[in-house]
Amino acid sequence: MNTRFRLFPLVSLLLACFPICLSAQDWVHTGTNLGNDRIRIATADFKPVGQDPQTPALKAAFDATLFSDLNSAGIFDLVSKSLIPQVTPGSPQEINLPQWAAAPSNAAMVAFGALSATNGRLVVYGWLFDARNTVSPQVLGKQYNEIASQDMARTVAHRFADEIILRLGGGINGIAETKIFFVSSRSGTKEIWEMDYDGQNEHAVTHLGTISISPRISPDNSRIAFASLGREGWAVRMYSLELGRMVNFPAGTAGGSNQSPAWSGDGSKIAFSSSRSGDPEIYVADASGGNLRRVTTFRGPDVAPCWNPRTNAQIAWVSGRTGLPQIYTMDQDGANIQRMTDGGYAISPSWAPNGQFLTFSWNRKYGPGAPGGQDIYVMDIASKRWLQLTHEAGSNDYPSWAPDGRHIVFERAIGGHTQIWSMLADGTEQHQLTHTGNNFMPNWSWK
Amino acid sequence: MELWNDGERLERELTPEPIAAPAMGSLLLHGALAACLFAYAIIGGLFHHSLWGNPGSGGAIQVSLVSNALPLPSDQPPNQNVLATETPSKAPAEPTPKAKQAVDETAIPIASKQKPQPPQKQAASKTSQHQPQPNQDNRARYGEQSGSSMPRSTMANGSTNGPVTVGNGDFGSRFGWYVEVIKHKVDQNWFRAEVDPRTPRGSLTQVYFRVSRQGVPSNFKVNISSGSPTLDRSCLRATQRVDTFGGLPAGSNDLWLDVTYDCTY
Repeated sequence: MNTRFRLFPLVSLLLACFPICLSAQDWVHTGTNLGNDRIRIATADFKPVGQDPQTPALKAAFDATLFSDLNSAGIFDLVSKSLIPQVTPGSPQEINLPQWAAAPSNAAMVAFGALSATNGRLVVYGWLFDARNTVSPQVLGKQYNEIASQDMARTVAHRFADEIILRLGGGINGIAETKIFFVSSRSGTKEIWEMDYDGQNEHAVTHLGTISISPRISPDNSRIAFASLGREGWAVRMYSLELGRMVNFPAGTAGGSNQSPAWSGDGSKIAFSSSRSGDPEIYVADASGGNLRRVTTFRGPDVAPCWNPRTNAQIAWVSGRTGLPQIYTMDQDGANIQRMTDGGYAISPSWAPNGQFLTFSWNRKYGPGAPGGQDIYVMDIASKRWLQLTHEAGSNDYPSWAPDGRHIVFERAIGGHTQIWSMLADGTEQHQLTHTGNNFMPNWSWK
Repeated sequence: MELWNDGERLERELTPEPIAAPAMGSLLLHGALAACLFAYAIIGGLFHHSLWGNPGSGGAIQVSLVSNALPLPSDQPPNQNVLATETPSKAPAEPTPKAKQAVDETAIPIASKQKPQPPQKQAASKTSQHQPQPNQDNRARYGEQSGSSMPRSTMANGSTNGPVTVGNGDFGSRFGWYVEVIKHKVDQNWFRAEVDPRTPRGSLTQVYFRVSRQGVPSNFKVNISSGSPTLDRSCLRATQRVDTFGGLPAGSNDLWLDVTYDCTY
């Protein structure tokens, strides 16, 4: 009798767990030969709700930004606005999915929703539906409530686009809210500037009145390290975006020419080049400026370091130890040096977020009258195979990876004018981001 | 004598020198030089000596690997090749153990016939070096995969009829977009250049892995071998390169997702 009573709770527990165990796993089967096209996605114009006079302008900014973000994400085949059904579904009850899944739009996914501006607040409801799944079509549903302004309409569109890209891009965050830092001489002196990833909202960060170059934003977006010309020559200096002023970085000011800073992926260390020993060499210091140590000791210039952001244990840099500058990699303690480029003139390395690729500027046939020019390349580090991304379009330099690993920003000089461009990491979708003055040395923020 | 000398000199000066032979020689020499230069240019153009970074034939730009490896979608046409075999190769038989020499325990040892035992050297203590552990599980896995009655969905997008059922293998029909994400990400990370080019076209490897609720893959293994070790390994590496597929859909109650993925060469 006692045994039976003792077993009863155990059996009850097992029975209670049974449905949970049933849903503990599922099984799918897929593969490489089952079609692998880009996801075809349509964006319906968001439905304006209410009579506020601000609404049409905010809606226009929102729609345009969402379309642009998804179009430049690199993972979608965006349905042209002229092919989508001429309706504006504002809620799941109002959308007719077969209409979107059918020709001519043939959309696999539909982003839609409603937007209203009331009492100075912008309220946006957004959904993403699987157009070919009538049983459970909802992939995403979001609501935003922000201050009603043009900038905020763009920001909300960026956030919604990033959510879609995160979902359909396989867990990789979108870049719609990332920033690009660069050098601009439009104010008379070279200062550090900042803009959105799509070239909007450009504004100056520093106002030092001297020459500032090579901006590198910290992984937490709180500080910018850059090289600046001062009374003691070139020094690595630090600007706090949180405090809005310069902060101390003692390691970067001592003697010689100190340039090209680079943050490690965890934000704890900074590598830079310094000629304090007579020859430009790579040094590593803590982010606070202490614990400085020299990493390279070879004869010949060693400059432009960048960290492997995945491991934070390797550095790629440019060395002139064999004559013309070449790209090398090494462990952070200076061991295990490997030469990556076999000749020509290779500079400005940037390590991909996944640690697998390097992008750099390379003139493969360097010399007077040699064919080709300074172009952007991507190299698979393990196999040293490379892909040329730019072809016969000016002189291209300073590539920098976006945090999604799908985009690269770089500078392009054509006819004496240097501007910032961005492209997908396979060289397609090249877009000019800046149009005013001369702009150089872009650096994509980490998030 | 002087006159004769003058006349002879005059005659010599007026007589045309035989330049035909030297001119012909010079022409031949220059022609040979030009031919050598031309041949050098042709041969030099045919055989690039600096093929570093450009594996494969010739010095042409090799773009296939990197563009495939970039985290961007690639278009792969469906492979209709029916020559792919699913017949697995047999696992090698284990070697038969050496038969031990029989020892007669009743025999009395004779001291004079006993060989002196050499002093045993004490093995020097070696510093243990870290070595990657080879895969000890070398058993053939054929027949071990789940039976066909296991719930699975092959890219079913909205093809379900009837009421919605929770669990039991309708993940593919409810969240076809997530299956697409898995397919895209693994395919982006599959470097076909890693496969031995002698592998027959249409060869198929099936790998298995488990996706956690957070979207992180684990428990990688080759489910069905293609018979080509390089194809098996490249497919397995493709799945291992993926950090995350993104969390499982919010509407899913699954704690994890079992995935079988076919790599068709």
